[in-house]
Amino acid sequence: MYFAQLAVNGLVQGLVISLAAMSITLVFGIVRFPNAATGDVMTVGAFSGLVVYPMTGSLLASGIFAVIVTAAVALISHLLVFRRLAGRSVVALLVASIGVGFVLRSIMGLVFGHQPMVFSMPLSRPYRIGGLAINPLDLQLALLAAVMLALAFAVLHLTPIGRQMRAVADNPSLARVSGIRSGRVLAALWVLAGAIAGAGGVMLGVKTVVNPEMGWDMLMPAFAAAIFGGIGSPAGALLAGLILGVVQEMSTPFVGFTYKIALSFAIMLVVLLRRPTGLLGRIEGVR
Amino acid sequence: MLAYLIFALTIGGIYALLALSLNLIWGGIGLVNLGLVGFFALGAYASALLTGAGLPVLFGWGGAIVVGAIAGLVVTLATTRLRDDYLAIVTLGLAEVIRLVALNERWLTNGSDGISGIQAPMKSALGNQGFNLFYLALVSVIVLVVWLALRRLDRSPYGRAMKAIREDQELAGFAGKNVLGFKVQAFAVSAALAGLAGALYAHFQSYISPDHFQPLITIYIFLAVAAGGVGRPAGGVLGAYVVVFFLELTRFLPDLVPWLAPAQFAACREILVGLSLILVLRFRPQGLLPEQIVPAPKS
Repeated sequence: MYFAQLAVNGLVQGLVISLAAMSITLVFGIVRFPNAATGDVMTVGAFSGLVVYPMTGSLLASGIFAVIVTAAVALISHLLVFRRLAGRSVVALLVASIGVGFVLRSIMGLVFGHQPMVFSMPLSRPYRIGGLAINPLDLQLALLAAVMLALAFAVLHLTPIGRQMRAVADNPSLARVSGIRSGRVLAALWVLAGAIAGAGGVMLGVKTVVNPEMGWDMLMPAFAAAIFGGIGSPAGALLAGLILGVVQEMSTPFVGFTYKIALSFAIMLVVLLRRPTGLLGRIEGVR
Repeated sequence: MLAYLIFALTIGGIYALLALSLNLIWGGIGLVNLGLVGFFALGAYASALLTGAGLPVLFGWGGAIVVGAIAGLVVTLATTRLRDDYLAIVTLGLAEVIRLVALNERWLTNGSDGISGIQAPMKSALGNQGFNLFYLALVSVIVLVVWLALRRLDRSPYGRAMKAIREDQELAGFAGKNVLGFKVQAFAVSAALAGLAGALYAHFQSYISPDHFQPLITIYIFLAVAAGGVGRPAGGVLGAYVVVFFLELTRFLPDLVPWLAPAQFAACREILVGLSLILVLRFRPQGLLPEQIVPAPKS
């Protein structure tokens, strides 16, 4: 029962990792570099949510506001930085993303300071379902994540721009010769990736504390889940994030609270060595 | 003031070593180490623990070099078959794990309290001022030697092969170069250099704790190498000294802008550092000292 409880707690944690990993995997699959600013975009989302929450008292409203802000931040980073570096090496883009993340983190530090802040949520009695305690807040968060995920998958699979995104991810040159306008596709991609990261940021902020470093600390599990799920595969990222979240939570009795992050690193190494395509991905071998 | 200058120059030298380490793989072979600060910490802790166990300082430094190289080998061997950006992600994770171990394994690292009383070589003989001067000279000589060695490497057939791999791995492979071998060797040497820099830092400060090894340092070094000139050892060294002087000079500015709290001022400084990194990448990717490709001698 204890482990079942841990697993349930892990699912919510896992959804946060899933959202972060999806944001990474979308960018990695289409623009082809690991965006190290993803974690810091999440931080921006958490702070934006935190600003709105006391005014409205609604988690949904804070979530929506955060998602709008982070979508805008991601789009701006694309327009001002990443688009301008297109055609340069992967390393240049990666280093630039570190710079972008660092600037975002510092701005959060400048505006909000380094004292950890919390969403002051009303306490509520957990639902009891067959001996499992389920926090209503967790349910709300899971719902928020589910809405975001449903939106993301709907955009990817049901809209023309989503189909074009997947075409670019699959084969950029083929997409170009079939007349896909990559400028619009890329802008839409960054909006989507930013929105997903923002939702993850709000969730993380509600579950833990909000401080400028929170997103950076999330980067490692997020990369691990993106690789585990298979780079370029949003469904894989979702699945891998949930698995990592549950595994992390269920391992705490054995490895302790502190080495949860190390665990995702270990899983990532094993995946890279044994099955670099991940769960649902394709290999990005040495070209 | 003089003591302060000596301090800044010594830290500049240590950062210059880190910049040389990063430049060796970034400029040399087109890889990056996002966990540079982890290797730096590894060297610092290795040397602090070895000398703490009673070994002479030189053994500690040797140990730091070996531990750094081994960590570098482990990381590269885990990602041999994959695109280079995976290596960068793994280094990031490794640095995170190193920080966790330093923070939590109290029996080894004394946790967040850190290790104090690290041997300062010759300090008893030289006195405080003398030691600082001696150490500055020592660090500077090491930077000079490493710089000359890497510059020599750059102009050797080995260096040319590295840059060929950076530009086009497949072509270099077709030309019979052992791409994987070059990558593993370059990364191991680079990691060893970062370890050495860590050891020098530990014995200079005589106190280290996980707080000393913030990801911030990695960003400073990336800025130093990017601004100095990727692919040119002199560029990295110049960049490192420039970055340290920028950081140290702006330390005195808060008095001039009293309306900002010190923490806010630090944040502004960090924003400037991050922005400079982005601007350099965007507008002057070749840096202050652009890379020189010396043609191979005619044989």
